[in-house]
Amino acid sequence: MSYRRRVSPLHAARAGAACAYCLALAIAALTLSNPLTLGAVTVAVGAAALGAGVGHEVRRAALLGLPLAASIVLVNALVTRDGLTVIFRLGDLPLLGHTDITLEATTSGAVLGLRALTLILCGALYTTAVDPDQVLRLFRRVSFRSALTATLATRMVPVLIRDAGRLADAQRCRAGRPPSRVALMRAATSGVLDRALDVAAALEVRGYGVAHRPPRWRQPYGRHDLEFAASAVAVVALAAGARVGALAPFQAYPSLHAPVGGSVLAASIGLLACALLPFADRQGIER
Amino acid sequence: MPLRARAAFAALATIATTALGGCGFGPGVGTSQVTLTVTRGFGEQQIGSTTAKHVPGSETVLRMLERSFTVHNRFGGGFVESINGLSGSGSRRDWFYYVNGVQAPQGAASTAVHKGDQIWWDLHDWTATDSVPAVVGSFPEPFVHGVGGKRLPTTLECGVDVPAACKRVTAALTTAKVPVSSQLLGTGSGPDSLGVVVGTWSDLAPEVAASLIAHGPSASGVYARFTGPGGHSLQVLDPQGAVTRTLGAGSGLVAATADSSSKPTWLITGTDVAGVSAAARALTPGALHDHFALAVQGSSELPVPSQGAL
Repeated sequence: MSYRRRVSPLHAARAGAACAYCLALAIAALTLSNPLTLGAVTVAVGAAALGAGVGHEVRRAALLGLPLAASIVLVNALVTRDGLTVIFRLGDLPLLGHTDITLEATTSGAVLGLRALTLILCGALYTTAVDPDQVLRLFRRVSFRSALTATLATRMVPVLIRDAGRLADAQRCRAGRPPSRVALMRAATSGVLDRALDVAAALEVRGYGVAHRPPRWRQPYGRHDLEFAASAVAVVALAAGARVGALAPFQAYPSLHAPVGGSVLAASIGLLACALLPFADRQGIER
Repeated sequence: MPLRARAAFAALATIATTALGGCGFGPGVGTSQVTLTVTRGFGEQQIGSTTAKHVPGSETVLRMLERSFTVHNRFGGGFVESINGLSGSGSRRDWFYYVNGVQAPQGAASTAVHKGDQIWWDLHDWTATDSVPAVVGSFPEPFVHGVGGKRLPTTLECGVDVPAACKRVTAALTTAKVPVSSQLLGTGSGPDSLGVVVGTWSDLAPEVAASLIAHGPSASGVYARFTGPGGHSLQVLDPQGAVTRTLGAGSGLVAATADSSSKPTWLITGTDVAGVSAAARALTPGALHDHFALAVQGSSELPVPSQGAL
């Protein structure tokens, strides 16, 4: 999973706006706890991924995140002693003692799991839809050496993935028993160190060590920059408003309180609309 | 055995083990007539009280509390921090609970509620001791419904010089429909029986329960002690363990205590025969209500520990 320029409004937006958009969705996921509004944020992230043409990559991330979410639900249900509505009695268990599964602990775990999954999806959307070089350019003036190090690190990851693929191909073509994992690890590590030495030598020869703070990089604001920036602001404002104004209340303990009233529905629909409206504008991005 | 048959056998074995282990869907069978009382200052001030005619299955002490009061807890429900906004955080005060007048050996989230239980939460100072094994404020519990849902036999031991007090204590227990077996003083009630001992302090001094009280609140959880030759005066302590009042001849004490390996023993004792008689007269639900222990002198009653100064 890595960034590749695609034909989408999110890819057309500058890195700062796209970054703020992904961050706003993550903030909304962290702020809201009502299952309906949190679910709306999750749907918004998924729909944004589809709108940005990275649905396949984000789906893979979701499949990786699902076991984590499920384990959060399970652990919370087993460990938390709170909640009034017993839905399953497990009796006395080793280490855990007397254990009752309550509706409240299960629901609370489900909310935590959904939040973790949504944050993973936000991370996947960021990775696949925001140009890392542009992000690093944003921070280059703040700390040049840190930006250079981060650039090299992010560039090395795809290179190492390709190396791993080549090693795997070679392993499959080799007759007889496959080599041990230790041997593969040794080969991969020595390859990484060789590459690191090469990169360090190239940087020294090119004089990066004496480089100064680069000049400001100016780029005119486009329509997609403004739209995604406005969307980010609207999503954060709506999430904060819903939290402060108790528009989407949620209380897990001691008894479950998760109303699905007009305000909750309005907040959910508003979040979806604010997050997805920028994708309706495809002007200037079609090839 | 084919693989499918083995899988089916394993599934059946798992289901059977689960069912036998007390597992099941839903809360299970409920219970009834459970009383919950919340107080502060060793029962000095009542915050609330409720009696549930029907209690859902799988009810724990913590769930019962959360149904009637606003509770904040920590460690996933393992430790109650505040009830109705009253918290002991920052000082040497915390919430403690007793079921049928007996300190529970585990957390409230793990203690099941049984029929007729009297649950008592109290916010109090634990400077002198953080363990009060038994209290008298839930009388006639634990004699009626027992401990942990199990009714226990009650043995009564009386000193030879207090037949009137012994008769009164027997009557009080009989009124509560508690069968009592009498035995000689000093016989001991055994680890699985509730004991009631009646006698002057000088007669009871060799008893295990009395020796715990003699060692102070940290050993017995009772904030009172007999002093002087033959225990002729009764000192009542405050929550910090300091003496606030000293009662002379004719004073009595109703208290309960236990060591780590046995069920509670109640002491109906006094400085002399008159004191024992006064203590025996105080063995009523009304007089003992919400008290950790009770000192008496004549007709006046003094809750123990004492909150007032000399």
